[in-house]
Amino acid sequence: MIYETSTLAIVVFAAFVGAVLALSFWLGSRARTSGGYFAAHGQVGWFVNGIAFAGDYLSAASFLGICGMIAFFGYDGFLYSIGYLAGWIVALFVIAEPIKRLGKYTLADALNAKFQSRGVKLVAAVSTLVISLFYLIPQMVGAGALVKPLLGLPHWAGVAMVGATVTLIVATAGMVSTTWVQFVKGTLLVVICGVVVALLLERGFAVPSTPIPADAVQRIEKSADGTSVNGAPISATNQLDSRLRAAHGTGFGSVAALPDGAAATGPLGPIAYIETFAGSTITTWQKGTGATGETTFTPIERKGSDLLLPGANPTFKGVRDDRTWLKLDFISLMLALFLGTASLPHILIRYYTVKDAAAARKSTVVGIGAIGAFYVLTLYLGIGAMTSGALDPTDSNMAAPLLARTFGEGLFAVISAVAFTTVLGTVSGLVMAGAGAVAHDLMKDVFRVQLDDRGQVRWGRIAAASLGLGSIALGIAFEKMNVTFLVGWAFNIAASANLPALVMLLFWKRTTKEGVIAAMSVGLIASLAWILCSADTLEKVYGYSAADAVASALVPFSQPAIVTVPLGFATLVAVSLFSARSARPRTPVAVA
Amino acid sequence: MKARKSLGAVLFLVYLACYAAFVGVAAFGTFAGGKPDGGLATTAVGGLPWGVVAGIGLIVGAFVLALAYAFFGADANEGGEAA
Repeated sequence: MIYETSTLAIVVFAAFVGAVLALSFWLGSRARTSGGYFAAHGQVGWFVNGIAFAGDYLSAASFLGICGMIAFFGYDGFLYSIGYLAGWIVALFVIAEPIKRLGKYTLADALNAKFQSRGVKLVAAVSTLVISLFYLIPQMVGAGALVKPLLGLPHWAGVAMVGATVTLIVATAGMVSTTWVQFVKGTLLVVICGVVVALLLERGFAVPSTPIPADAVQRIEKSADGTSVNGAPISATNQLDSRLRAAHGTGFGSVAALPDGAAATGPLGPIAYIETFAGSTITTWQKGTGATGETTFTPIERKGSDLLLPGANPTFKGVRDDRTWLKLDFISLMLALFLGTASLPHILIRYYTVKDAAAARKSTVVGIGAIGAFYVLTLYLGIGAMTSGALDPTDSNMAAPLLARTFGEGLFAVISAVAFTTVLGTVSGLVMAGAGAVAHDLMKDVFRVQLDDRGQVRWGRIAAASLGLGSIALGIAFEKMNVTFLVGWAFNIAASANLPALVMLLFWKRTTKEGVIAAMSVGLIASLAWILCSADTLEKVYGYSAADAVASALVPFSQPAIVTVPLGFATLVAVSLFSARSARPRTPVAVA
Repeated sequence: MKARKSLGAVLFLVYLACYAAFVGVAAFGTFAGGKPDGGLATTAVGGLPWGVVAGIGLIVGAFVLALAYAFFGADANEGGEAA
């Protein structure tokens, strides 16, 4: 689809973003020492840190991706909300306080506190960089999706522009400004989404002026001559939803029938809203390929109650199958979401910005409250986007901003600006984690480059810029993928590479440095290899057809955590036992 | 410190059991022959599907457990304040 730009939206967006940038630069100029740059001097208050947790964690995947997935597939998107939030229980009850006591700036600090090993530092730094990069990709994809409707730019230009801006900010600023940007963003995200949900409940549901028949197929074709929609060149007046709007008064995503044949519900309470949706029939759109190779979107009527069940999304479709092995993808992803949160380096470094373990615990509780509130809102935002006639069927990531547009350009501009700060806040945290890994772990401790305090900060900034630029290239390459799906990969890798080492280090006294190095290496390589050889990657990255991807995949399902997390634990135990026995001095054998 | 660790372990296991049960019911107890059949497909109190009730319950439950941990797990030398 092409989007009309709005002057009001651009002005509000520019003002909003300008204020955040000014705050960032002002606070960033204060971070002169490595303690300030990497850990905000450990002096952030627990409440501010808790909301900053939300700002750090609620990424483009949470905001754009989950809302889009619920809008397109219903309950499957909400499963991500549940899993993402549940992961914080592991962080609070298992990881938070020990990690605060053990570490200083980075994940490697904590893992290496007992061993003082260059090997542990190296593998932890590499793991941090890989996970951060995988997590950065969806943020950039989200950024590109966001500026498309706002500024009318193509995806690549949006990614490059936003990526360069974000990189400039985080390369020049440090953890103090990152914390405050994340605090502002976390607060705004929850409050603004609450406002949109309140407006949704006030509006309720309505059916279109005339029903959409099953043969109202919409077509879009891209060729060397340009893009055509329903047989005519695409233009401001001939967009993918233009014909639908003219005939039925609605775009993609609408209610076909309400309970008791009502035409509209009027305002609804939060429970009645879900109850009414469950009792309604919804017009969804199935993507396909037409006779001449064009992309088609065919209306399919589905019961709301069915959309509130798992299994509509290809990732979760095995849930509806009776064969047990097809359900492993779903179980594996839910395991990765549960275990991955507490293993994400950019989340773990936020425990170093508070003064002690008690503050770490309290800030986690505040974070869970803010994040949980947001995830409940995602269900309403997704359902609202699914039924408001504002979906772009070619881009699931745009569901939430386009939903906001149905309430006016002003709210669209505010939501877009909040979404931009969402990308900014999360990218800041990710780049900080990567910068710490390079400057503090690799340069200073692994390669033993003599760096003073300013030298560490300088290397941190160079690493931040490099990471940001790399993520721009990947953000362009992965344009068509749903950002939540991409984040699922990062969770799998984090859970497989970091969690076994973290947990065993904290709770098993016989853990050795060799065990930690082996477990992290095996978890990282195994999960990465599994993902790269999976049917999902073959189809969505390498461009195989769905059937060829399944036939050519080297692994039986796409989400690796159910195999690679236990593999990490087993490796750690086996190598620790073996290395401890090898290190034990042998008893001299008596010679007769 | 030791009491807080024990409380944290108990609360973690409680939540883990709830989460595992949810995933188990979603995977094995909601569909039969490709059709909705029990589990998350049944209607709970207030006309809401169990899937929604259980999902929101897990989110709200996490916050309730976190509050309980912050309140009951605070050491005396930390001032005993809840978050």
